[in-house]
Amino acid sequence: MTNTNKHSFKIIGVIAAVLMLASCASNPPVCSSPQSRNLDSAINSVKSSLNSGCQAQFDRYYDDLLMIAEGDPKPENKRAFSEFLVWSSEQGLLSTRQAQDYYNRYFNVKFMSMRGDYNNCSHTCPNQQKVLFDMERELSDKERGLLKISTDADAYYRADRLYQEVELVLEATCTACAASR
Amino acid sequence: MNPSLAASCAAHTARVRSRRSYVSAITLNLIIAMVITVPAYATNSPTIRLFPTTVVEDLRQTGNVARDMETGLQDVIGRLDQQQQLYQESKCDGAENDTGCQRLARQIGATYLEMLTIMEERLPDMEHTVNNTRISLEKGLRNEIGKKMTPWTLQETLLGTVSATGETSVTAPTLRGRSGMRLSERFKQYYQLVATSGSRGDQSLAVLASDIYLDMEETSTLIERTRQEIARATLMEQLNQSFGIITPEMMEVVGGVKSILFGDEESRALVAGPPPGSLEQAYRSPLEQ
Repeated sequence: MTNTNKHSFKIIGVIAAVLMLASCASNPPVCSSPQSRNLDSAINSVKSSLNSGCQAQFDRYYDDLLMIAEGDPKPENKRAFSEFLVWSSEQGLLSTRQAQDYYNRYFNVKFMSMRGDYNNCSHTCPNQQKVLFDMERELSDKERGLLKISTDADAYYRADRLYQEVELVLEATCTACAASR
Repeated sequence: MNPSLAASCAAHTARVRSRRSYVSAITLNLIIAMVITVPAYATNSPTIRLFPTTVVEDLRQTGNVARDMETGLQDVIGRLDQQQQLYQESKCDGAENDTGCQRLARQIGATYLEMLTIMEERLPDMEHTVNNTRISLEKGLRNEIGKKMTPWTLQETLLGTVSATGETSVTAPTLRGRSGMRLSERFKQYYQLVATSGSRGDQSLAVLASDIYLDMEETSTLIERTRQEIARATLMEQLNQSFGIITPEMMEVVGGVKSILFGDEESRALVAGPPPGSLEQAYRSPLEQ
């Protein structure tokens, strides 16, 4: 082998090593979806992915977990989601308020869309249609969380009734508020 | 000290003492009343005042006015039904030039005018009581729910306080859509619901008040429009009397009045039952709000 050839091999080797290192450094973490159909195992897998730099995928993981839980609906699923969200909050992945939103939107009768600090005449009535639209969307999430995942039909029916009551009371109240103007 | 002045002072002191003891008695009564009342409301604080006694009285009065109107119209509508039946059985449809049919048509027209006159006489009373109820409820809803509550507190009020056993207090049935009910029956039911509202939670009161208010709004508009229509229909019928014509509009108006006043059995509205199940939960998340 000539000296030129040896020199060429060395250069190629160096380039290959640099490329390999560069590719390792820029590769994003592999944020694959949980493979297990068991909720507890899936939660553990998601926790490990979230700890490995996949925080940005939180919404997708939460949806994956909801889908897995739908496959094995039972009342205990509610607790599993609550504990997962408390863990996420403790790890700093979510703020307490975000964790509450994620939980209550799916597993509580109360509507997070009805959160507000101002009175109904001044704040809710001007946005009445939007509030009701948001509530309707949240109701379908509650159907998923309460009915399809936690098998808590009573709680879901109460949420459904609450939505209808809010619709009626808001219609009357906003008519009354508008009448004073 | 001057004896008369002393006597006056003594009398004044006695009056002050008497007034104080009177005030104390009132205060004591108030305290006793509060002690008795507070536990009843403690479960649903803050208590909302949507049904002052004036509303209860207005509802009762509206029910009475509606009943009087029904009684007054029952006879005339019964006669109209008989006359229409006779008209159809005599095969007068298409035989308007027949003298007998013309006479029957005029009789129907006269009874129709009688019905319009009775309605014209009774509607102002009805309008007055309905408007009173509507205005009182409007004020209550605006102040108690519109201005004193946020959407979140409204939601909590509607859900009611969950008792230690996890069961919510009983809510009133939702009443929207009572087209098949007699007018006086409807107000009677409202009155009974409101009069016994003390035993209900705020959550059902808010729904009930909203329900009655929206119904009063519709009724009020309907009465106003009916009064305008009556004037027009009376004039038209007076003209028709000279020709002995039965217009389809007449039949329609009579049918409408019958269904409003006496209800329609076929379209009787279903009254919703209590909410299904309780809210008893085995698990309560620390994240739950």
